[in-house]
Amino acid sequence: MTHRSNRTLRVAGLARVEGEGALHVRTVDGEVDRVELNIYEPPRFFEAFLRGRDFREPPDITARICGICPVAYQMSACLAIEDACGITVDGPLRDLRRLLYCGEWISSHALHIYLLHAPDFLGFPDGIAMARDHRALVERGLALKKAGNQIMDLIGGRAIHPVNVRVGGFYRVPTADELRPLAETLRRALDEALATVEWTAGFGFPDVEIPHDLMSLRDTEGYPIDGGTPHVSTGLSFDVTEFGSHVVEHQVPHSTALHARLDDRTYLVGPLARYSLNRDRLSPTARQAADAAGLGAVCRNPFRSVVVRAVEVVYAVEEALRIIGSYRRPDRPSVEVTPRAGSGHGATEAPRGLLYHRYELDASGRILGADIVPPTSQNQTAIEADVTQVVRSHQHLDDHALQSLCEQTIRNYDPCISCSAHFLDFTRERA
Amino acid sequence: MTTVVIGVGNEFRRDDGVGPAVARAVAAAGVRAEISDGDPVRLMEAWDGADVVVIVDAVRCTPSVPGRWHRTTLPHTIPVASSHGFGVPEAVELAEALDRRPENLVIYAVEVADSGFGTGLSPAVAAAVPRLAAAVLTGFPDLTNQAAVP
Repeated sequence: MTHRSNRTLRVAGLARVEGEGALHVRTVDGEVDRVELNIYEPPRFFEAFLRGRDFREPPDITARICGICPVAYQMSACLAIEDACGITVDGPLRDLRRLLYCGEWISSHALHIYLLHAPDFLGFPDGIAMARDHRALVERGLALKKAGNQIMDLIGGRAIHPVNVRVGGFYRVPTADELRPLAETLRRALDEALATVEWTAGFGFPDVEIPHDLMSLRDTEGYPIDGGTPHVSTGLSFDVTEFGSHVVEHQVPHSTALHARLDDRTYLVGPLARYSLNRDRLSPTARQAADAAGLGAVCRNPFRSVVVRAVEVVYAVEEALRIIGSYRRPDRPSVEVTPRAGSGHGATEAPRGLLYHRYELDASGRILGADIVPPTSQNQTAIEADVTQVVRSHQHLDDHALQSLCEQTIRNYDPCISCSAHFLDFTRERA
Repeated sequence: MTTVVIGVGNEFRRDDGVGPAVARAVAAAGVRAEISDGDPVRLMEAWDGADVVVIVDAVRCTPSVPGRWHRTTLPHTIPVASSHGFGVPEAVELAEALDRRPENLVIYAVEVADSGFGTGLSPAVAAAVPRLAAAVLTGFPDLTNQAAVP
C-alpha cells in the first residue's frame, strides 16, 4: 500500500553485505521518524585481544578481522607499530606492500561490483540469478577477482589472511621471475577492468547527492592505498597522529559497531571520498575511463560508487603492473624493528575506506593498548542519513520497492559489518 | 580422469573442521586434496579442471548422530542473506549458472556435535575421519593413481 502516513519497514537480515545486519525504518505522518542500521553481529573484542601481546603479532591477529580485506588490517597495523618504533619502510619493500594491497583492492572490488552490487542495478535478486542471464559478465568479474587473488597468493602466501606479512616488511620476497606470470594475467585484467567501467557507467542511477564531509588519505604521490595523510573535503587536513582528536567514536544502542563523527560532523570514507579528493592522482588511463563514464571532478552520488570502484580497479591493475615492471628484489625481506615505549598511528585505505590503527607499547614491545577504527563503523551515520534521504524522497514507492531501494543504498557502501562490530564498553572507558 | 577431494570448513569451529581433516587424511595417502572455507568463487577455482569432485563438509542435524555421514550428489539450498552464509549449495548453484559444475560431484555431509569456538574435533567426529577417508579412497579408485598437490 502506498501513500500511507505511517509505515514501518524491517529488513531482518540484509542480503549481499559482508556480515550480519538489519535495517529498521519508521515513518510517522509522512515524516521519517527513525532509521536504524542495526548491526547485531556479536562484538569481536579484537582490541582487547591485542593487549598484552607482542608488538610483532598485530599483522597476523588483526588480519583475522576480515576475510575480504585482511591486507588492509595488516598494513595499517604494520604502519602503526613501525611508527611507534620509529621505523619507516620505504623503497622496494613499500612497493611490494602496495602491490599486495592492489591485489586486495582488485579482488574485493570485483566481488562487490559483480556479485553484490550489480544485481541491484540489473534487477536480479542475487549474483547467481544474474549469472544465469549474464554468464559472460559474471565470468569477467570472477576473472578479475582471481587476478587480485593471484597477487595476494604470490606476495602474501595465500589470498585469505596472508601469512607473509610482518612488521618491517615480509618473511620472504619474490624473485622477478616469480612476478612475471602475474604481469601476463594483469594485462588481460586491465582490459576486463576497463570494460567494467564502461559497463557500470551504463547503469541507471537515482538522482541523489550526499552532503556529508568526505575524508580520505592523500599521499605524496599516487592514488592513496597504503598510506598518506587524512584530508577532508572541507579543506582540512591533519597528521594521522591527530586522528583521535578529530574522529570521535560513540556508542548507539542499536549497533554493536561504534559510530563516529569527524569534528562533530557526519562524514564518509571510501571510494567516493578517495576519488573526489584524489582524482588528479589517478593514472591517465583510469582518469580517462572516469571521464568517459561521466564521473566528473567530484562524485557525491553514492549509487555511482560502483563506477568509482571500477575506476579504482583499473588504477590498481595498472599500479600492480607498474610495480612489477620496475621490480628489483630487495636485498633483505624486512627491516629490523626494535621496540620502544610509546604509541604509534597508522592509516591506510581499505577497499571500503580509511582504516586507522593505534598501538601503545612498553619498552619491551608489549602492547598496552590498541584502537582500531574500521571504515564501515565510520560510515554508519552517513549510511543512516542516506537511507533517511532516500525514504523521504521516495515516499511514493510501495513498501517492497522502497525496501529494495533502502537495501541498495546500504550496499552502495559495500559495508563490512564483521569488521565494524568490535566495540567493547571498557574500550571506551579507557579512551 | 582428474579427481579432487575438497574439505570444506573452519578448523577454528570444532567439528566444522571435519572436512579439512578428511582432506588431510586423503592427501596423506597421496591424492589431490584441497581445503576450502566454502567461498563459492574459491570452491569453483579449487575444482577447476577436475572431472570428479568429492566435497566433504559438516552438517548440523536435529537430532544428530555425530560422525554419521551422508553421501549425496545434490546439496540442499537454504536461503542465506549475508555473503558470510554462502557455502557449498551456493557454489554449486553459481557453477551451474556458469556451466562450470563438475561432471561428477559427490558430497559427503558429516553430522557434527559441536561447531562452537575452538580447535579439535569431538570424539565421535574424530573417530569418523579415518573411516570416511578410507571410504572416499575406496569409492574413488582413480584418486590413488594421481600425484598429490601440495
